[in-house]
Amino acid sequence: MSGVSQKLLFTGLGLMVGLLTLASLLIGPAGFSIADSLAALFGGTGDAVSLVMQEIRLPRALLAIMVGISLGLSGAALQGYLRNPLAEPGLIGVSSSAAFGAVVTLQTGLAAQMMFALPFFGLFGAGVAVVLLLLLAGPRGGSLTLILAGIAISALAAALTSLVLNLSPNPFATSEIVFWMLGSLADRSFSHITIALPFMVLGWILILSTSRGLDALILGEDAAASLGINLTRLRWVLVLGVAACTGAATSVVGAIGFVGLVVPHILRPFVGARPSRLLPASALGGAALVLAADIAARIILPDRDLKLGVVMAIIGAPVFLHLIYRTRRAEL
Amino acid sequence: MTTSCLSLQDFTVHRGECPVVDQVSTELRAGDLVGLIGPNGAGKTTLMRGALGLLPYQGHSSLSALPPNARARAVAWLPQTREIAWPVSVETLVMLGRVPHLGAGQSPGAEDHAAVSDALAAMDLTGFATRPATALSGGEQARVLMARALAQNCPLIMADEPVAGLDPRHQIATLAHLQSLTQSGKAALVSLHDLGLAARFCDRLILMDHGQKIAEGPPEGVLTEDHLRRVFGITAHITQSEQGLIFQALEVVE
Repeated sequence: MSGVSQKLLFTGLGLMVGLLTLASLLIGPAGFSIADSLAALFGGTGDAVSLVMQEIRLPRALLAIMVGISLGLSGAALQGYLRNPLAEPGLIGVSSSAAFGAVVTLQTGLAAQMMFALPFFGLFGAGVAVVLLLLLAGPRGGSLTLILAGIAISALAAALTSLVLNLSPNPFATSEIVFWMLGSLADRSFSHITIALPFMVLGWILILSTSRGLDALILGEDAAASLGINLTRLRWVLVLGVAACTGAATSVVGAIGFVGLVVPHILRPFVGARPSRLLPASALGGAALVLAADIAARIILPDRDLKLGVVMAIIGAPVFLHLIYRTRRAEL
Repeated sequence: MTTSCLSLQDFTVHRGECPVVDQVSTELRAGDLVGLIGPNGAGKTTLMRGALGLLPYQGHSSLSALPPNARARAVAWLPQTREIAWPVSVETLVMLGRVPHLGAGQSPGAEDHAAVSDALAAMDLTGFATRPATALSGGEQARVLMARALAQNCPLIMADEPVAGLDPRHQIATLAHLQSLTQSGKAALVSLHDLGLAARFCDRLILMDHGQKIAEGPPEGVLTEDHLRRVFGITAHITQSEQGLIFQALEVVE
């Protein structure tokens, strides 16, 4: 893949993210004019328009970008590490554990009493999952033990979440939990960004630092090790990076599937299949997809509070089916 | 005295209780093309992986004593399993051989591109550079991976069955290229099942069986009737010719 087409790809993705951010800022039930909205975004008169723009729409758009980058990067990194296009960020069990932590706060009413109990417990759940993963897979475990440990943790967290739902005496808490688990960007504030951003940025840095190792892994673990790549280190940097990204994302917006699976898959042919190039491309692609899905969630049924996770799955699954169909035809 | 590229002393690798490489000592110097021969399960691959430090071992290996980055500039390793995980271009794949020579975040320079095109030319792959590596035939993929090891441009190349699955022309060409590299001052340790090629191209053979080094020396000294019968369970026709040693396996002995 030549340098020119790479530049074109990244410019295109960047433009897409920019335009979708603008659209995300301008579309909403309040129905302000474009000129008013933009003026209110950067002005600060304290009127209704600037309040909506600065306190509601801006954090929503920024969170969409952050979550998209995190999930896109995590998916691309895990697929590269496991050398498997079916890997996705949920595989290591961190997102289900974060979801379980969050669900506990909803069930106990802690989330209603303390504003940020939910994201903090989500992050705590993610942290517990990482520790369990370290204990189960061992510091020197291979990729197979890592996947199996991830599946086990995922199953346990899902079972505990079901248990909470099962034992919930309160139908309101139950429906709140179910709706929260569908994932949404609605009603998020800058405080959510403040909570999630440090973890996400740490995750991005950790994941991006693995790019050379992921390229070397094209040749298999033995050859990569002989090229001077420390595989044990690579494994844990990657796991911590993915955990920080998906844990923070799940804690603030709930479970959003498909981004980490579909985005790297779509973009892989455009970067010549190189894992190191796929990382930044998937980050931008993930941001664009989450922004687009969030806009769709607002436009399609404006008065029904359509959940982001639902829209993502409804867009994502057919796209994925189409990709599988195309791959199958290419193989014939 | 030429420089030492690999030295093993009392090198032992255990799998569970059982030693799969047992007290092997040897030395490779610049200019050596050494063939590692022996039946399946003799410990050839384990010896090479252990020497690289990819397996826990006892004894001494000069390579595994090096820090990983220095080792990656001292030896290029071509594993037996030919893995190409993603449909990257041939050029991208061969460029991975330059990883040990690049600093953090540094992109490949003119020297790296030159090493890649030299390696592609040596493996008869000029014109393949932009093709997706996974779309090539098995033998072509093997040559691409060999080119990757060549592009690493190390004093020592260790290759595990580099000619398996190649057509006769490329089997000979690969070993001839290794021979020209060793004549220009590099060293190579190559495991081979084709004893005819081993006899013709290698300066020295190491014969292994059940993890032990049975014999080491020039091909005519190692490929003896007794060794062939005892270790491989075969008889062979061996003659000295103007072309060098000619080896043809004949029959299985009970």
